Parts: sequence; C-alpha cells; structure tokens
Amino acid sequence: MSELGNLSIALAALVSAYGLVAALLGAGLRRADLQHSARNAVYAVFLLLSVASGILLYQALTRDFGNAYVASYSSRDLGLWYTVSVWWAGQAGSLLFWAWLLAGFGAVVVWRQAGYRELMPYIIATVMGVSVFFTLLLAVVSSPFARLAFAPPDGQGLNPLLQNPGMFFHPPTQYLGYVGFTIPFAFAIAAMATKRLDDEWIRATRRWTLASWFFLTLGVLFGMQWAYVELGWGGYWAWDPVENASLLPWLTGTAFLHSVMIQEKRDMLKVWNLVLIVLTFGLVIFGTFLTRSGVLSSVHSFALSSMGPLFFAFIAVILIVSFTLLALRLPWLKSAGDLDSLVSRESSFLFNNLILVGAAFSVFLGTIFPMISEAVRGVKISVGAPFFNQVNVPIGLALLLVMGLCPLLAWRKASLANLSRNFLFPGALGLLTAVGLIVAGLRQPVAVTAFALSAFVTATILLDFHRGAMVRRGHGEPYPLALGRLVLRNRRRYGGYVVHLGVILLFAGMAGSAFSSQQEAVLRPGQTVTINQYTLRYEGISQYPTQSAMVTAATLTVFNSGAPIAVMNPQRNIHRGHEEQPMTEVAIRSTMMEDLYVILAGIGEDGTANFKVIVNPLMMWMWIGGVLMSLGTVVAFWPERREALRARARYLVGAEA
Amino acid sequence: MKALLLATLIAALAGFAAVAALMPHAHAADAAAVKVVVNQLATQYMCQCGCGLTLASCTHGVCGPRDRTLAEIRRMVEGGKTPAEITAALVAQYGEAVLAAPPRRGLNLLAWWGPYAALLAGAVTILLLGAAWTRRPGPQRAASPSALSPEQRRLLDEELRKFDA
Repeated sequence: MSELGNLSIALAALVSAYGLVAALLGAGLRRADLQHSARNAVYAVFLLLSVASGILLYQALTRDFGNAYVASYSSRDLGLWYTVSVWWAGQAGSLLFWAWLLAGFGAVVVWRQAGYRELMPYIIATVMGVSVFFTLLLAVVSSPFARLAFAPPDGQGLNPLLQNPGMFFHPPTQYLGYVGFTIPFAFAIAAMATKRLDDEWIRATRRWTLASWFFLTLGVLFGMQWAYVELGWGGYWAWDPVENASLLPWLTGTAFLHSVMIQEKRDMLKVWNLVLIVLTFGLVIFGTFLTRSGVLSSVHSFALSSMGPLFFAFIAVILIVSFTLLALRLPWLKSAGDLDSLVSRESSFLFNNLILVGAAFSVFLGTIFPMISEAVRGVKISVGAPFFNQVNVPIGLALLLVMGLCPLLAWRKASLANLSRNFLFPGALGLLTAVGLIVAGLRQPVAVTAFALSAFVTATILLDFHRGAMVRRGHGEPYPLALGRLVLRNRRRYGGYVVHLGVILLFAGMAGSAFSSQQEAVLRPGQTVTINQYTLRYEGISQYPTQSAMVTAATLTVFNSGAPIAVMNPQRNIHRGHEEQPMTEVAIRSTMMEDLYVILAGIGEDGTANFKVIVNPLMMWMWIGGVLMSLGTVVAFWPERREALRARARYLVGAEA
Repeated sequence: MKALLLATLIAALAGFAAVAALMPHAHAADAAAVKVVVNQLATQYMCQCGCGLTLASCTHGVCGPRDRTLAEIRRMVEGGKTPAEITAALVAQYGEAVLAAPPRRGLNLLAWWGPYAALLAGAVTILLLGAAWTRRPGPQRAASPSALSPEQRRLLDEELRKFDA
C-alpha cells in the first residue's frame, strides 16, 4: 500500500511539472492540444493525490503502524474521527492535505471557469508550479508513506492538545483559506502574463477570494476558540508566531477584498491590487513555512522540521517572479479612473487598506524581529504579547474608526451636507457612549475608545440599513420586507455590513478582556474562593480512567451572590504516552455578560487543590461576532446570476476587442 | 505620676493589641498585594521553558522553569525590589530574551516605531497621490474610457442625492 502511495505522489510531482511546462508551451506556441493536455494534467494530479490521501486514511483507519507517520500520530485507542484527523495532524500528512486541496481547487477552476481561455494556461501553470513544490516536498523530503523497519504493536498516539473538536475545524478551515488564495493569485499571474489587466481577473476570482477569506476567518476564529478552551491560560490569543502567521494573510486578504471594489467601480488601484494578492499568497506560504519550519518557537512546535530553507527559497521565487512580471506590466497598469475628492468613500477605502496593511506589517515585523535582532546584534530577544498589544491596539482602533467613516462617505465626493447629515447621529451616539462609560466609572482610555467607536460604527451601519429600507418603503413595500429585499438585492454590500457588525462584537469582546480579573487559591475540601460576585466552594477530587487518559477532576459548587448556580469540574489529565506532561482541561461557565473560567492548576499531596479562577467579561460577544462575520460572508458570497452573466459578457467582449 | 505611667502603659498595651489584632490582616493584605504584583509581572517576562509565551500564559501543566522564575519574582517583590530592579536582575540572569517586549532602545526602536513610521509614510503618500489624482486636468479625464458625459454625471449625482436622502 505504501509503495502505491509513494508512487502516486511521485507521479503527481511529475504530472504537475508536465502540466506546468505543457501549459506554458501551449500558451507560447498557441498549441491547443498542449493546453488541453495541461488541463487534463490538473485532473490527473487531483486523482493521484486523492489516491495517496485515500491510502493514508486507509492505513490510519486500519492501524497500519508499519507506516511511520501513522505510528507517530495515532494509536489503537484513538477514536474514528481523531483517526481521520491524522491526515493533517503531522507535517507530511498536512502537506499532502495542502497539495490535495490545491489540486482539487485547480480542477474546479479548469472545470468551472474554462471560459477564461486566454488566462487558463497561465492559471494552470501557476497552480501546477505550486503543486510541483508541495508534491516534491512530499516525494523527497517528508513522505507520509515512509515505512518502519518493524511495525510497533501500537502507535504513539495523537498529542493530547490536538484531541479536541477544534482539530476537525481549525486546521481544515485554515488550510482551505490558505490554499484558496492560490486561485486569485494564479488569476493575477495569468492577467499579468496575458496583459489582460482590466478588472476581469478580479471579477472572475471574487467568489474565490470571498470563500478563501471566509475559511481563513473561520480558521483564525476556531483557532482562538480552541486555544481558549484547551491551552488553559485564560486567553485566546497569545501572539504566538504561528497565530500571527494565520493573521498576516487574513489582514492583507481583507485589504484586497476591499480594494478590488475600487478597481471594479472606479478602474483604479490596479497595481495595488496585484501587489496585495501577491503579498497575500506570499504570506500564505510564509504561514505554512513558519508552522512547518520551526524557525520560531511556538505553541505549535509539534510541527517542527528542517524544511525551512526550501520554503524560504519558494517564497523568494514567488516574490521575484510576481514582482518582475508586475514591473514589466506597469505601462499597462495605468488607472483610467480619477479620485474626485479626498473626502470620499474611495479615499476611505485607501485608508482602510493602509491600516490593514500597516497592521500586517507591524505583526510581520514583530514576528520576525527576534531573527533580525539575532542577525544584526547577535542578541536573542523575545517579542511577545505586551509588544503586540501596545503596538497594535492604536492601529486596531484606527481601523474601527475607518470602518465607521466608510459607509458615511458618499462615492466620488462627500458634500458638507452629506457629512453633517450622516455623521450627526452616529457621532453623537459614540460621544454619548464615551461620556456614559466615563461617568459610570470606566477609566481605561483604550476600552472607553473601543466601546465608543463600536457604538459609532454600529450606528453608521444600522443607519445605512434603515435608509436603504426607507427608500424601498417609499415604493410601497412594508418595512421588514423592504429590509429583506434590500439585503437580497445588494448582497455584497449588506453582507459586508453584517461582517462589520461581527467585527464590532469581536472588538467589544476584546475590549472586555481589559476588565478580566483573576484569583488563585489553594483550597481544602469545603473551603471557598471568591472572585467578583462569585464564590466557588471546593467539594473534592475524583479520579477515573478513560480510554486514553487518567482523569483527575475537581468539583466546585459555584454561588452567585450567595445563590448556587452551577457545579464546575476542571480537570487535570495524564494521557497515555504523555505521562510527563499533565494536561489541564478547564471548566468554563459562559453567560452573555462574562465567562467564569476555572483551571485546576495543581493537586497537593496533602489533599489541597490549586485553582486559578478567571472572570473574562464579554467573551461570548466575540464568538457571536465570529458567527455574524461568517453569516455576512455567506450573504455576500451567495451567487447572483445577473452578476455572473455580466462578468462573462464583459470577458467575451474584451476577448473580441 | 503613677497614674500617668499607668495610662501610658495601658495605651501602649492597647496599641500593641490593636497592632497584633491587625497583623494577620496586614499579612493577608501584603500577600494579596504581592500576588497582584507577581501576576502583573508574569505578563511581562517570557517563560524559559521554550514555549515562546509569557510566564502568565505558559501552557504547560507542569513547568519547572516557569515556577522557578515566578518564585524568584515573588521573592524579589517580597524583598521590596522595584519592577525596574526585578527586570535588571532577570535580564542579568537570563539575558534580554526574558523580556516579553524588547526594551525601547537601539535597533529595537525599529520594531516599536517602524509600523507607525510606515503608516505615516503611507498616509502621506495617499494624501499626495490623492491630491495629484484630484488635480488631473479635465481633458485627461475626458479621455478616460470610464468617464461619464456631463449629462450622465448630472443624472448620477441626482440619483445619488435621492439615495442619500
């Protein structure tokens, strides 16, 4: 079986290389047969990698511990779903998952977007070029089918940290987002290669971009949720290098998502959009590089390897090829549109882009700064959460402000009347919120500003919904129907606003963490610890074995202002094969106002238990914000047949011209 | 005189009694204050176990380096050392890498101020480019394939006004 797996991967690498060459020759020599063959190569690569993936899953499910990868990441006591997740649990498997997704997306493009005939050879060449890199890594450096000399009776099992439902959601969505951005990047390369530099490549990839952004957003949010419930330190974001790596393409991808609108509407920012998608794809590979190279220490260090230099070289190739092509095409990239005024929605988009890319730069610089310092000064330094929080909080607040300003400004030129009419209510609400919070005793300037800006932005969005619905109501539609149709008729715009509402809730949740409080206590049974309005009484410890661990669970009765409200069971588990490292399983009681988060930090031999109790305000709002962001993206993503037909017609007209 | 001495003695005893009665609370208050300071400082220093996180957020259930460093910090806080002195002592022992945020000097200023400098440069560029774009002469605008005729522009303005209203 493993031989067949290795053969599939080797053939996939060869066919990818063939597809790359055939596509380029087909385009250069205008040979339709070669172009057709290159298209078939994409299907073949997908088929071959599907076979390889199927074999790996089969070996994992049948407990073939002669396969070194299966033996390293699974064991006999691992449940069915965690066994399936072995596919992406380790380095070789996750690279195979990456390559398989890429080939699958490539096949979808070849099948569904075959009409873009002139662009297609270069799209295929780009996708196959990326595929060559990943399949070669799989074939030469990190094979998921390496065999052990002797098959052990059992595997080492999955890292206990990975045995969480997040394992089914975080890595797959993260990878779907990462890999998805390859498609807009491939279209951008094709547009530059063919000099078809109008907005067609953007329209053709709009839904790819949205889908990739959607999955990347989900990936980041699932990662945050997983960290919150699993890592047991009370937070959700530690500014770990790998966390940062997932945020970087999200930031530039978000900027891209916004700036393409300017190219579509005003035929501007052509160069900038190309730069953004190249950066986004480069950061996607950088993210994979950071996760897989182990060049920076991280909580994801279960993924360490020595393939860093190869990734580094690949990133260099991507940037050199892309920017050389971009430089050669500059004469064809002159904007046809103009900016009518600096006070306009267009310019607010420019500032939105500036802030998003600025945030990405700040996170990137902070992430790699330890390497810079060591290279320049020879001094090892750390760049941790306090740095990122201090540098990025003002940038985040500026982003919130621009998010509020953007819908208030008219396209082309905002008149004074437009400004005063649109700013009055939201501005007053923001101001009132700030004053109200200060009067109520809130003294943290960052939190006050964040809440005030959140109120301001919410008001601008709701005002926009209301005005749109009122215009429709003027045509005789009842208000709720008008509101529904308003969204349906302009899904992109109002879906985007729903995403913005989600972002505000996310910011509110983050601002809430400024008021978190914590208490540590060593308790004997019957003793209590009090934090804010909560009193927790320690009742005792119980121990019991499960299939894969020895569980030690503490029982705490929780009282709110004297009334019993819950029983919580934080745990401290010793997993089989990982006896040296007990794992904490926190107990969380969530309400709309706050989370009560209890960690069983230690158990004394004298019968005492050491607890860390944290109250995290507004945490639930973060997750609700995440749901809203997802819903909004789905609304914006929902296909509009008219738009697709219009794009196709434009492309055909362009092709004939 | 005796009465005065007696009164002084009684007052002194009462004072001692009061102080003694308050002592456990004072200890408890001190311990709580130390804990608060230690917890706060734990967010400022990196754990030395290699997790890449601060002492406050090290994810290991059992972590010798974290517990050792926290105990050192606690001792120094109880010994009356200021945060600056504690920082100096930890840097002397573990090197600059123990600091969760690099000190604001030398090359590190690039990390602290680089993003803001880049943002400022970007903002200036947008303003300059924006100003240049808005000053483009009329004929060039007319030559643009996407430009509207004056009549179309008027109609668009009208529609936008209606929408804004």
